[in-house]
Order: sequence, then C-alpha cells, then structure tokens
Amino acid sequence: MDTKDKTNLNIPNEIRAEELEVIPGSIEALDQAAAEGATSISPLQAAIRRFWHDKRAVFFLGVVLFILIGSYIFPFIYTHVGPPITGGILGNQQMGPSMYHDPYQIDLSRSDIPGTFLPLGPQSMVHPLGTDAIGRDILARLMAGVNISIEVALMVEIFDIGLGILLGALAGWFGGWLGMGLDRFTDIVFAFPGLLLILLIGAALGPVFDGVFKGQSAIFGRMLMLALALGLLSWPLMMRYVRGQTLELKERQFIEAARTAGTSTFTILTKHIVPNLLSIVVVASTLNILATIVGEAGISLLGAGLKPPAASLGLMISDSVSKIYSSWTELFWPCILLVILVIAFSFVGDGVNDAFNPRKKD
Amino acid sequence: MQLNIAEVIAVLLVAAVFTFGGIRIGLRFVIRRLAGLIFVMLGVSFITFILGYITPGSPVDLLCSKCTVEKLAALHHFYGLDQPWYVQYWTFLTNLLHFDLGLSFQIRGLRVTDLLSQGIPISAQIGVLAIICQVLIGVPVGIFAAVRAGKWSDTMLMTIMLLFFALPTFIVIPFYQLAMVQLSQHGLPFLPVAGWGDPINFVAPVGILALVGMGFYARLTRTTMLEVLGQDYVRTARAKGLTERTVVYRHAFRNSLVPLVTALGPALAFIVGGAFFTESLLNIPGIGFMAVSAISTKDMPVVQGTVIMVAAAVAVMNLVVDVVYGILDPRIKAS
Repeated sequence: MDTKDKTNLNIPNEIRAEELEVIPGSIEALDQAAAEGATSISPLQAAIRRFWHDKRAVFFLGVVLFILIGSYIFPFIYTHVGPPITGGILGNQQMGPSMYHDPYQIDLSRSDIPGTFLPLGPQSMVHPLGTDAIGRDILARLMAGVNISIEVALMVEIFDIGLGILLGALAGWFGGWLGMGLDRFTDIVFAFPGLLLILLIGAALGPVFDGVFKGQSAIFGRMLMLALALGLLSWPLMMRYVRGQTLELKERQFIEAARTAGTSTFTILTKHIVPNLLSIVVVASTLNILATIVGEAGISLLGAGLKPPAASLGLMISDSVSKIYSSWTELFWPCILLVILVIAFSFVGDGVNDAFNPRKKD
Repeated sequence: MQLNIAEVIAVLLVAAVFTFGGIRIGLRFVIRRLAGLIFVMLGVSFITFILGYITPGSPVDLLCSKCTVEKLAALHHFYGLDQPWYVQYWTFLTNLLHFDLGLSFQIRGLRVTDLLSQGIPISAQIGVLAIICQVLIGVPVGIFAAVRAGKWSDTMLMTIMLLFFALPTFIVIPFYQLAMVQLSQHGLPFLPVAGWGDPINFVAPVGILALVGMGFYARLTRTTMLEVLGQDYVRTARAKGLTERTVVYRHAFRNSLVPLVTALGPALAFIVGGAFFTESLLNIPGIGFMAVSAISTKDMPVVQGTVIMVAAAVAVMNLVVDVVYGILDPRIKAS
C-alpha cells in the first residue's frame, strides 16, 4: 500500500574488512576483532528469525511452496496414474495416463465432463477435476498454468532487478544531473497507467513476437513478450528502493574507508554497494511476484497475453466464463487456485515486510 | 468534439482549482506540476504512437485487401504512411490536440472519438459511483478499526480488508456470477449475471469495484486516524473533558480527512484498471469493453485512443489532487 515504508528496510552492513588493507591498531582492525569474537547476529539473520516466529506467514509460505514446487513435480506422478481409456481426437485411440493427463491432449469424446474424483475407484483418476470444452484435463492444465506463471514471474524479476539495480545504484551514487535525469525518467514511467500500457504492448507486439517465435516456441514468445511488458513497468519501484538504499549506504563509514583506500568507483559499486542491496532486492522482488502472477492471468484473460493453446490461468477463466450454467466447475477451479495463491502470497508478503521492518507496525 | 454542460462544468472546475491553487500556494508549484503532466503525456503519446507504428500490417492493407500496388501506394501517401516516423508522430500529436484520434480500422469511417464518447459516460458513471461506495464503506470501517486498535475486531477487520484488496477484480466477478447462477437455479432471488441497460445492472460492477477497493480506504483511514489520535491537540481535547465521541468525530476525524484526498488519484487508476475486467466480463459497453474488443479485432486506433484518453484522465486527476492537497494543507508548500 504505502510504498515509502519499504525504503528504510534494514540491510546487513557487515564491514568487509578483509577487502581493505587493515592497519594494525586502526578502527578497521578493532572492528575486525570485534566481528570475530562477536556473538551478535546480522540484521538479515534477525529478520529470518522474526519471520520464523510468525507462524501464519510460515504456514502460508508452505502453501506457496507446495503449489509452486508441486506444479513441477506432480505432473511426473500424474502422468503415470490412471487406467487406460479409449478416446482421443478420433475417439477410438487407446490412451494411457501419459496421454490424457497431458495439458494439451484434446479428447472430443470427453469434453466438458465434471470432475470424476467421486466416487473413489479406478475411474476417479481419469479426470479428477473434469475437462474443458475440448476435453483437455483441467488438473493438468492448472499445473501447466502455474508453471507458466512462475516462468513469466522469473523472467520479469530478471528485468526488474537488472534495471532496478543498474539505474537505482547509478542515480543514488552519482546524484547531480545524472541522478536528477534518472529520477525524472523513473517518475514518468511510474506515472504511466500500468495495465493500459501492458494491454497496448500486448496488442501491438503480440503479432511481432508471433512472427518471430513460431510453432513449438510460440508460447515462449508470448511469455517473453509479457515478461518484457510487465518488467518494463515494474522496475521503477525497485529503482526507488535501490536508490534510497544507495543514498544511505553512501554515507556509511566502510564506503568512506574504501574511498580513502583509493578503491575505484566501479569496484565500490560492484563489491560494496550491490552486495549490501541484496536483502532489499529480495524483499521487493518477493512482493512483486504476486503482482506478476495476477498480471499475467489478467492480461491473458483480456486477450492481450498468452494465446489459446497455452495453459494460462487467465485463459482458462476467459474460456469458461460463458459456461457458468452448464459446467461451472471449469470456471471454479482456476479461480479458486488464484484465490489461494493471492491469499497465501499476501500473508507471506505481510510477514516478510514485518520481519524486515520491525519498527513499522501500523 | 461537441461540448455538453457536464464537460463545461468539469473544465471550469479544474480551471478554478488551478487558479485558486496558484493564488494560495504559489504559481511555481502549480507550474512545476503542470510541466510534469506535460512530460507524462508526451511520454504516453510517444509510446502509444510508436507501438502502433511498429505493429505489422498497415491499416490501408486492412481497409483495401483487393487493391493494386499502385492504388495501395497512393492510399499510403494519402494517409501519410509513407512519411518518416517523426513526421507521422508530429501529425499524430497535432491531431491529438484537436481531439482527433483517427479512424477505426474495423468499422469503416467511424471516428474513434465518436466511438469512445459513447462509452465514456457509462464508464464514468460506474467509476464515480464505485469511488463513492468505497469511501462510504471504507472510511467508517477504518475509523472503527482505529478506535479499537489492537483489539481482535480491529485485526479481523483489517485482515478481511487486506484480502479483499489483494483479490483481483477478475476473480471476484466469476464468483459473483457463479453465486447468481446457483441462486437462480434454486429459485431464489438473484441479480443479473451480465448485461447493461437496466438500473439493476449498476449493482454488480459498482458493488464489485467497491468491494475490492474499500480496503484501500479502510487501511489508509486507520493509519491516518491513529496518527491524528496521538497528536497533542487530541490529548488537549480529551483533557478538556470532551466525550470520546466528540474527540473522535470533531477533532480527530476531520483532520484525518486531508490525506484521504491524496488517495483519490491512485483510486481512479485502480478503478480504471478494474473497469477493463468488470466491463469485459459483465458485458458493459464502456470504454474498457471497447478497448478489449478492439484488441481481439486488432483495431489499433481504438486501443491507442483509449490508452491516451484514460492516461490523460488519470494524470489530470493526479494533478488536481496534488493542487487540492496543497490548498488544504499549506505545509506541503515547504517541501
């Protein structure tokens, strides 16, 4: 909600004494001695401890990890569970679970069937959560959809963190006209109505990416496009965190010491500033992942994101929204999965924020 | 573009705010904010233009699929598509200043402004009603929670508000529709699942947007109320022996209203984002619905027009909010 709070996160400020030339008897030497014998913990460790004491956040972290990791592991099990059936596009194919539990396997003889999970029995594993309009297994598609969401989110974080650290550290360190220019530029990007621009990018660049990525890689092309669009709009927030943190770090003694020792600006930035930005970057990108997952689903739902053969949660919603009278479960499952993800991520984000920001409890 | 009374009043109101703001908090403040607005609008218009420019397939090819090469070239020349991009951008900008967003690719001869002017009143009505509902529900909830800060009712309310705020609009709508279908199938009273044209159709979009947006106001009100309740003048009011009710409503609440004004900017952006989902999922012919259907028919001028129109609305709203905030809270001038 209020983004300013996150700028003053604690950061680990261990003094990297070993990288400096330590003069016996100097302040650095005393610091080093104190660090070796000290029993105190770094702010990062303290934050992790605080997080572990927050039982609600830990529980929901478990839920998030179960869904995210499970979506990669369970398909291996799922494609080996189930009796052989007859079906397929022609309706007379012999199919094992490795075929009908494939998220892209069409089976017109089995379209729109409700979940077969109950009554329990050998047939209950054929399509536990039912099938969609062209007979694709919904559980398999949900897992494939989560996979896509995570992959898009990871790509977005690469753009987000890369641009955020680069521009933020530059603006914070150099200040002056460069910092001023970068600040104004960030302000302008920040003021853009995000969803609109992503829609526009999706509508304009979608055909371009479709032309470059064809056939097997068509889905990847659209994912890359979405990640670019979402990443280009999410870096300003990261840039502001990084900039604030860099401004604060700049005044610290260990930076002053490094400067006095004649360390080059490039080395100070890469060896002293960037490592100390790590925790703020981790927190900010964790909080951004939920926005990315929801954004991907929403844009795909509006038709500017992933295209139909892809198993996106948003596409599953938009495909089934017209069938709420006949087969409402098709709409229910992707929605409830997104609700669980949103709730779990919100509590984890709350916990992370409290852990790294103990003074700020509103 | 024809002006009607509502537009004239709106323009006069904005002008009045700027004039009054200029007198009250200094011309420099207003001019700097205006310059920022112009930069944002230039950026938005440039990105909008360049994205349309690089889209494969020229509009002329779409309009005239059976033309000869010579005729296509002539048409390209007629629409100025053979000129370099900066000339085209300049034309785009000057047309924009004349409220000319070009012609739709799909419906021949239809001006984008005419199309959008049908949708704007619908979207605006829903948006304004939704913001009013958000404030009317969110602010009392925030005050209630602030007065009971730390108690279980506060924690529970704030958790619920956080969850509603976190839920995307496009998930709440399917659940609403599923609920209405179940109600109708069991012979219970229900609201329409989708559609437009009847006053009852307002209930679903306004209600859903209010539901997901009220958490923002509730949390903000709670935070500012807690801040104000810790101020010296509140202690003075308590020390005077005033009732808790008077302290909360007359002394604390009134002063906590000022930061709420700043929330109107983000709230509008939020409503705009939600409008795309409410309108396309509930079949409401507002500008969000038009933009989404234009994406599927690859009608770039309509998408571009919507983006610029809405971006301008949000930017102007942010500017007005800034100036109003400056008028209400003179301390802002210092920073």
